Amino acid sequence: MTLKSVLTGAISGAVIAVSMPASAETQLNVVTGGSQNMVEYVTDYLGPLFEELHPSVKVRVTGTGPGDAGSQKILEKLEAQSAAGKEQWDIDVIVAAQKKTGEMKEKGLLADFRGNIETGKMVTRETAENALGVYVGGYVMPMFHSQTAIAYNPALVPNPPESYDELREWVKKYPKQFGYNGIKNGMSGVAFVTGWMYTYSGDAKTLQNGPYDTAKKDSWADAYAGLKAFNENVTFTPGNAGTLDMLNRGEIVMGPVWVDMFYSWQADGRIPPNLKLKLIAPGMPGQPYYYATPAKATNKELAEKFIELATSPEVQAEGIVNRFNWYPGIDADHVKASLDEKVWNKLFTDVTPLELAQKGKPFPIGPYFDDIKEGYEKQVSN
Amino acid sequence: MSGQSMSVGPGRTGALLLVAPALLMIGFLFVYPFGYSVVSAFTDNGEGSWHIANFTKAIEFYSKDILFTIVIVSLSTAIIGILAVAIAGYLTLGENPTAVAILKWLYRWPLFIPFIVSAQLMRTFLAKNGMMNNILTSSGIIEPLAAQSYLDWRGIVITFVWKQTPFVALLVAGAMASIDRTTIDAGRIFGASRLRILIELVVPQIATTLMVGLILSYVVMLSVLSVPLMINAQSPTMLTVDMAWRINSYGDYGVANALGIMSYLFTGVVAWFYLRQSLKDKGA
Amino acid sequence: MVAAALSNNWVRTVTRVLTMSLLAFAIFGPITNMLLWAVAEVWYFPYKLPLEYGFSFWERVFRPEGNATEALFSSIWIALLTVVVSLAIAIPAGYALARGKMPFRYLIMLLFLLPQAFPAVAVHMNVARIFYGLDLTGSVVGVVLVHASQGLVFSVWIATAAFAAVDAELEAAARNMGAGRWRTFVDVTLPLALPGIMASAIFVFLISMDEFTGTYFVGAPDVVTLPMLLFTSSMEGNYQIASISSLILLVPSVGFMLFIERFLKADVLAKVGN
Repeated sequence: MTLKSVLTGAISGAVIAVSMPASAETQLNVVTGGSQNMVEYVTDYLGPLFEELHPSVKVRVTGTGPGDAGSQKILEKLEAQSAAGKEQWDIDVIVAAQKKTGEMKEKGLLADFRGNIETGKMVTRETAENALGVYVGGYVMPMFHSQTAIAYNPALVPNPPESYDELREWVKKYPKQFGYNGIKNGMSGVAFVTGWMYTYSGDAKTLQNGPYDTAKKDSWADAYAGLKAFNENVTFTPGNAGTLDMLNRGEIVMGPVWVDMFYSWQADGRIPPNLKLKLIAPGMPGQPYYYATPAKATNKELAEKFIELATSPEVQAEGIVNRFNWYPGIDADHVKASLDEKVWNKLFTDVTPLELAQKGKPFPIGPYFDDIKEGYEKQVSN
Repeated sequence: MSGQSMSVGPGRTGALLLVAPALLMIGFLFVYPFGYSVVSAFTDNGEGSWHIANFTKAIEFYSKDILFTIVIVSLSTAIIGILAVAIAGYLTLGENPTAVAILKWLYRWPLFIPFIVSAQLMRTFLAKNGMMNNILTSSGIIEPLAAQSYLDWRGIVITFVWKQTPFVALLVAGAMASIDRTTIDAGRIFGASRLRILIELVVPQIATTLMVGLILSYVVMLSVLSVPLMINAQSPTMLTVDMAWRINSYGDYGVANALGIMSYLFTGVVAWFYLRQSLKDKGA
Repeated sequence: MVAAALSNNWVRTVTRVLTMSLLAFAIFGPITNMLLWAVAEVWYFPYKLPLEYGFSFWERVFRPEGNATEALFSSIWIALLTVVVSLAIAIPAGYALARGKMPFRYLIMLLFLLPQAFPAVAVHMNVARIFYGLDLTGSVVGVVLVHASQGLVFSVWIATAAFAAVDAELEAAARNMGAGRWRTFVDVTLPLALPGIMASAIFVFLISMDEFTGTYFVGAPDVVTLPMLLFTSSMEGNYQIASISSLILLVPSVGFMLFIERFLKADVLAKVGN
C-alpha cells in the first residue's frame, strides 16, 4: 500500500460518503425505546403494514434500548436538536416509556396531535392523560399497557406467595431463590421496589396521585429497613431480561418480570414452558408505552397517520394482543370486537382481569418516584 | 526518543502545524463538549451559581462505588500486567517452539470480541449453572454442590482481564522482541533462570511500553458500562453504572458529570505518574 | 543424573501442556459458549447443552425487514473511512510528536487520552448538540468523525511510536544525499513506519466496528450500522442475537488480525507511547 493509494482511497471515500443517498421515497423515522420485542413489532409488523398502505414511504426503525435509559436517549436526541435550533427534527414518531415521555412533554419537545387522528377518541384511561403526574392529554397515544408480576417455577414452588407479606416469609425460608434486578438495571426491579413501598410506606394513594410533600420520604425508614433485610436473602439479577434468564438457567425460581416479555420468551422457547405468573397483593405497578410525535417532526402528517394506524382497533387486536401479548393501549371494548374470544383470554391465562383491575397499579408521580429511588440508593443499597 | 536528531524533524512551527488537525479534532469533539460537562458538574445543570453540591452528593451517595471502582480497576490492571508480561515473556524466552507457536495463536482472540459481547459470554460462562461450572462438575473436578456463581466483583475482574490482557500482551511482546538480545544471552551464560532474566533484564527494558498498555487498559476499563451492568447486578458497583443511572433515571447531569470528573481524576493520577516517568527517562 | 534430567524434562512437558490447556480453556471456554449460543434454538436449565440447534435466529437477523446485510456493509464502510480519516490525522501528528521540536509534547500526548478517559454517557448529548448545529448529523461524515475521535488515542500514540522507531540516521543519510524533506519522508520515513501505522489502523477499525452510542446520536436514523440494529437485543441479553452479531463482526476483525501479522513489526511496538 503506497501513500498514493491511501490518499486516492481517502478522496474517493469522502466523495462517496458525501453523496451517499437519501433516495427519492419519503423516509418515516420511528425511534423506539423498550425491549427487543418492541423493535421487532415496528420492524416486522407495523412498518411493513404502513408501507403497504403508503407505497412511497419507507419506515426506518431505530431501537434505543430498554427502560428509562432507552427513552432517555430519545429525549436527548430531541433536546440536542432543539438546543441547536433546528427547524426540522429527524425523528417522526417516538415510542417511549411513561416517565420520560412526561419529561419530553414538559420540555416542549412533543406535538399536540391526538385531536387530529380518528383513534384519539378511543382512549379514556387515566394514563392517556397523566404520565406520572405530568398532564400529557393530546400529546400521546398509548401503544400498549404492560404489567409486572412475579414469575415462578411451579415445579419447585407449588404454593407461591400471594402477597408481599408472604413473600417476605418465603425468602426467609428459601434464601437466594428469589431474584430481582435492584433498581439500576431495568424497570421490573423498580416496579418490585415500588410495590414494596406501596405496601409498607402506609400511603400508596398519595404516592400515585399526589399532592407531593417533600417531608413524606422521611417516614419511609421502616419500609427501607425491611427491604434491606429482605435483600439479604435475595439474588440480584442483571436486568429485566436477566431475571428471566436466571429463571431459565435455574439460578432462581422466582422473580418479578414484565408480563409481555414473559409470554414472548416463553413463545420463543427461551424459558421453560411450565413457568407461571402471579400478581401479588396488594399490587404491583404497570405502565403504558406511548406513541408521540416530536414538536418539529419533518413528516408531521405521515407521523399522525402512522400513529392512527398503530392505534386502530384492528392493529391493536392483531398486533398488540394477538402477536405480542400486550394489553391493548386503546380502550378494551374497541379491541375486543375484532378479536377471537380465545386470543383475548390468552392474555389472562395467569393473571385474571379482576386481579389486574385490583392489583395493577400505576407508578408513583415523578417527584415521589425519584424520592423512592434515591431513598433506596441511600438506605437500602448503600 | 533515543535517535531524535534535530536535523531531520520539523521545527517548532512545523510540528505544531502537523499536529494541529489532531488537536482541532480533540478540541472540537471532546474538549468543547467536555466543557459543558464541567459547567454542569459545578452548577445546577448549567444554570445558577457555581457550587460543589453535585460533588458532595456524589460522594454521599456513591462513596462505596468510588472505592469499589478504584479497587476493581487497579486490581484488574495489576493482573493484566502480570499475565501480559508472562505471555509476552514466554513468547520471547520460550524454548519449545511448538508451545510458543500455540501461545502466539491462542492469546489474541479476545481482542476482537466487543466488550458488550464479552460481558454476555461471561454472564453465561461464570454463572452458577454456567458453562464453566458445568464442565468442572461433569469432569469431576468440583462437586456439584460446591459450584458457585462468580457474577460479582470477581466476574468483573475476570472479564476485564480476559478482554484486555491480549491487548497489553500484544504491545509488550512486540517490545520484548525488539530489545537487545545480548543482555539476555549474557544472563543465560551466567546461568540465570528464565524467570530472573525476565524480571531483572527484560521487564526494565520494556517498562514504558508496559505502562502505556496498562494506562490505555485502565482508562478503557474505567469507562466501560456494559461489563459492570451485566456481570455485577448487586451493589456496590462501578461509577459508569451510577453515571448512567443518574442521567437515565433522574435526568441529573450534574451529579453524573461530577462522577465523570472524579473518574477522570483517577486517570489523571495514573497519567501523572506516566508523565513523570517519561520525563525522568528523557532527562537521564 | 540422566534419569533426573529426563524426569525434569518430563515434568516440564507436563507443566507446559497443563498451562496451555488451562489457557486454552480460559480463552476458548467463553468463545465456545458464544458459538453454541449462536446456533442454539432452545436451551434452558438444567440442560448443559442446547436442546435444539438451528439457524432460525440467523434467519431473524438476516430477514429482509431487518436490513442487516445493508447495515453490515455500512459498518465496514464506515470503519474503513474512519481508518482513512484517522490515518490522515494521525500520520502528521505522530510524525510531529516523534520527530518535531514539540512544546508540551507529553501534555499533548495526554490530551489524546482524554476522550477514552471520560465516560461517554455524559458527553454524547453535547456532541450531538454541536453536530446538529453544524448539520453533520445523519451523515456518514459525522459518524466517521465521532469514531475517529474515539480512536484517536490509539492512532496517534501508535503512529508516534512507529515514527519514533524509524532510525533517524537513515533519514539523515537521505538528507545528506540531497533528498528534500518531503522526499525523505515519503521515500524513507513513511515506508519504514507503515507497519506500525497499519497496527493503529486495526485498533481504530475495531473501535469503529462496535461503536453504538456515538453512532446513534450522530448517525441515527439515517445511518444504520450493525451494532445499532443489534444493540437492543444485545443490551437485553438475547444471547443468540448477541453471539451472531459478534461472529459477524469477528470476520472483518480477524481479517485485520492477519494484517497485524503482516505489517506489525516488533520494533514498532517497542516504541509505543515512548
